[in-house]
Amino acid sequence: MKEIVIISGKGGTGKTSITASFAMLAGSDAIIADCDVDAADMHLLLKPDWFMQDDFYSGVAAEIDPEKCIKCGKCEQVCRFEAINHETGQYEVSNLNCEGCGYCGHICPAGAISMVEQNVGKWYVSDIKTGAKMVHAGLKIGADNSGKLVAKVKREAKAIATLENKPYIIVDGSPGIGCPVVSSLSGADFVVFVTEPTVSGIHDLERVYQLVEKFRIPSGCIINKADLNEQVSAEIKLFLTNNGIQHLADLPYDESFTKAMTNGQTIVEYPDSPITGVLTICWTDLKLILEKQ
Amino acid sequence: MKIAFTTTGTDWNASIDPRFGRTEYILIYDEEKDEITNFDNRDIADVAHGAGPKTAQLIFDLKPQVLITGNGPGGNAAAVLTKTDLKIYIGAGNMTVKEAYEAYKTGILKQS
Repeated sequence: MKEIVIISGKGGTGKTSITASFAMLAGSDAIIADCDVDAADMHLLLKPDWFMQDDFYSGVAAEIDPEKCIKCGKCEQVCRFEAINHETGQYEVSNLNCEGCGYCGHICPAGAISMVEQNVGKWYVSDIKTGAKMVHAGLKIGADNSGKLVAKVKREAKAIATLENKPYIIVDGSPGIGCPVVSSLSGADFVVFVTEPTVSGIHDLERVYQLVEKFRIPSGCIINKADLNEQVSAEIKLFLTNNGIQHLADLPYDESFTKAMTNGQTIVEYPDSPITGVLTICWTDLKLILEKQ
Repeated sequence: MKIAFTTTGTDWNASIDPRFGRTEYILIYDEEKDEITNFDNRDIADVAHGAGPKTAQLIFDLKPQVLITGNGPGGNAAAVLTKTDLKIYIGAGNMTVKEAYEAYKTGILKQS
């Protein structure tokens, strides 16, 4: 079983649209994991049935027991996040501001503060329109994605892929270069970067590549909207060559990309789109690369 | 030589956990004593953030000379581990502990 993780560093490069297209091309061969949990949107394109759901707990927040509280105000003084107030006469914690550091609980002379695990959202296993299953998650308002949640989504996807003997896991990776991305990359067999020929596109590609390089995971790159700025596209290709990243495909700018998204479909469901052919070849190439590894 | 493995189980036939920070167990094989010991890492695997440096701390305390894992530690954990003399071997993600040990002995695993 091979795990392919698709990341971009920068938002808006077309990562999720391309990931969903690979999911369609792989059909029932690939279990999908949506690890872009902060802004999960694979479900808009792959039509899950939300078959199974479960609560997800992550991180802690302070809770003050009003029975034990002696209203000394020390907790409010030490809190660096302005998460404690006593506007109502009672000392209370705002969960949106509380970072869970535990300083208040540590100094409370009455032992009135405990750190409580937070229910931050739900994770799901769904049947999707590709004929396979997807593991995904949704966060409550104000909740953060975490390495823990990504690890959970990936672990469940791997368990299903093992059980159903699937050859591929396709992971829509988290954005940025922080903890959730590190967790997305962990255990990956191949990384696909999706970038675009803009200054921030190449900048964020370089940044996220540094992370992938640390893990020594082989990687390839798709340049989306490559024809919009041929000079920056050439710069990106030079960067790929210099760093041993395989150049997988150039996608032309085409309005079918937006049209598919607006209709809640993947691009490869539009046979007349010039992108469909390129992505189909790209998926075949990817499978060959993985076979040779 | 004490060799640490990131694993999903507690014996020779357990799979290597490809993750470093969120590995389920750390298994230590002491070659001189021919003895296996296990450390349950699931509490660390369950923290929201900072699993890497916490697991690195555990490795630091256990003092193995060699670590065998899947992808290798991320940036923060690697920064901790470079302060030790630990040699890190990667690429054992799809192996059992036994296979990974043999691959290490025959020089198949890459040093990170």
